Amino acid sequence: MKLLLIEDEQSLRETIEKYFSEEGSICETCGDQKTAIQKIAVYNYDCILLDIGLPDGDGFAILEYLKTTGKNECVLIISARNSLDDKIKGLNLGADDYITKPFHLAELKARLMAIFRRKAFDSSSTLSYDGIAVDLLGRTISVNGKAMVLTRKEYDMLLYFIANKGKVISKNAIAEHLWGDEMDMLDSFDFIYTHIKNLRKKLMELSGKDFFATIYGVGYKFA
Amino acid sequence: MKLSAHYNKASIIISVSVLLISGVVYYLIINHIARKQLDSDLSEEISEVVDYVNRSGHLPKQVDFDEDVTTFVKTNATHFETAFFDATYNNAKEKRTEEGRAVAALIKVSGQGYIVTIVESRENTEYLIQTILIITLALTAVLLGVMVVTNRFVLNGLWKPFYYILQQVKKFNVADTDKINTIVSGVDEFKDLSEAVATMSARVTTDYQGLKTFTENASHEMMTPLAVITSKLDMLIQDEQLSPDQFAQITDIYSAASRLSRLNQSLLLLVKIDNNLLNDMEKINLKLVILEKGQQFQEMINSKNISLEYELENLEINASKYLIDVLINNLFSNAVRHNNNGGRIEIRLSGNKLCFQNTGDEKPLDREAIFERFYKGRNSDGTGLGLAIMKNICARYGFQISYRLNQGMHCFLVEFA
Repeated sequence: MKLLLIEDEQSLRETIEKYFSEEGSICETCGDQKTAIQKIAVYNYDCILLDIGLPDGDGFAILEYLKTTGKNECVLIISARNSLDDKIKGLNLGADDYITKPFHLAELKARLMAIFRRKAFDSSSTLSYDGIAVDLLGRTISVNGKAMVLTRKEYDMLLYFIANKGKVISKNAIAEHLWGDEMDMLDSFDFIYTHIKNLRKKLMELSGKDFFATIYGVGYKFA
Repeated sequence: MKLSAHYNKASIIISVSVLLISGVVYYLIINHIARKQLDSDLSEEISEVVDYVNRSGHLPKQVDFDEDVTTFVKTNATHFETAFFDATYNNAKEKRTEEGRAVAALIKVSGQGYIVTIVESRENTEYLIQTILIITLALTAVLLGVMVVTNRFVLNGLWKPFYYILQQVKKFNVADTDKINTIVSGVDEFKDLSEAVATMSARVTTDYQGLKTFTENASHEMMTPLAVITSKLDMLIQDEQLSPDQFAQITDIYSAASRLSRLNQSLLLLVKIDNNLLNDMEKINLKLVILEKGQQFQEMINSKNISLEYELENLEINASKYLIDVLINNLFSNAVRHNNNGGRIEIRLSGNKLCFQNTGDEKPLDREAIFERFYKGRNSDGTGLGLAIMKNICARYGFQISYRLNQGMHCFLVEFA
């Protein structure tokens, strides 16, 4: 996957670039509107991560540019403003999703993968990973050809883990993904553990393989 | 008491007393003048009598004195001072006695001394004084009447700009964008007042807006550094060389970062509610919202072994879906967060009242202070803004929110308008 990251905060740019380019996808970066438009004019990207607040003008201009030139890159807006107006404006200008700072890298990746899948495969809607096949339209899953029944939370969690395969995901990131960040989490994440335990058991029963690794108290890794 | 009433009172007291005093003075002066006039009349009569006696050599007859009563008394005194004094006057015609004025003087007729006394009626002067008194009183009454009416209408008209300014100041709300208008008035004081009030309110509004913009910008500016912290942590935990102790520290940083982020979002939400930025309105079925939220909190409720009981009637309200979500969310969040393990939550929705009851710490909370920003219980790890947000949402729609301890359970009651 070829990705363009437009973000003016240098350290954030570096971190996102590192997280996304580790598995063979190419991640290019730039920090202002002018360079971004130059890059978009010359190259084709699969996805664009766009920060709305740029030093030389807002990111909406880039969306307008994409619209007028008829390019159909997936665009995920990153914004420091949790503003409904900005969100509607962005989506109306052709962006695919909108994420508010601060966010977890895992969340960013999962959202990006979701919009990329929607656009890239259009009608085909199967996602597979190491014997696990997910029918995204029917929301059904089979492991090595055998059907697996999951609850809604387990299903969401599995997709989240597949999008971030090979990465350690913190419990905070999982909780925010499943319950939303306005949920005002309790300090203990015991209830996450229950969901993971169930998902792990179901996957093991059908594949004989343990996909999960517990990383001390901090989180989980799916591989 | 209104200023015009105070003014009326003072001016009436002053003018009535001035008029009374001047009335008395007036009476005394007129009385004095009338007496002088009578006395001079009487002296004239005496000199006429003297003239008559000198010419004719005998005493005049009674009829020569018109209506005045005259007496002549023989005397042997050779010396007598002419004297004026008050006396009773016998009105022979009308057969009654009246107030009168008399003069006594010594005259000599052919060597024989007589004391002549002439009494004149004061009826006419009394009548004059009475008439003057009545006219004075009538004038006083008319003057007072005119003053009261003038004060009422003219003064009220004059004070109109003042009441207009007062009305505007009363209606003034620092969060509104309505400005206080200056007024056109012929009175310099009111013009000054109006300008001063308008300037002051404009300054207050600007300062308030500035403060809110500052809060909003500050919160937004904090989001990017927070995003850097969170993403760096996400990156850091990819390193599996870290020790368990380091992971434990990272977990704490995660918690702090997410708390900071929630705090920021809560502050922004407060600013948005204050600014009326969330003004979408729709019909909301409260029962459905509560059931839906209850579903979302199910895991947390289960993990603390809390039993949840509903008793819900249907209630539809008009409000922003987002704000009602936040309201119900915070009610649930408090009821779970401050509950004991194995505790109870009871949710009752009947009529226009919603009651969230939960077990927890047995001490009652401070009924007023808990709704203030950043008020937190001893063991609370929340932002301290949850209840303040709930109160602001309720105030926004005219709902009442209150807290009480009900049979050992903490009860939050929302009465919808």
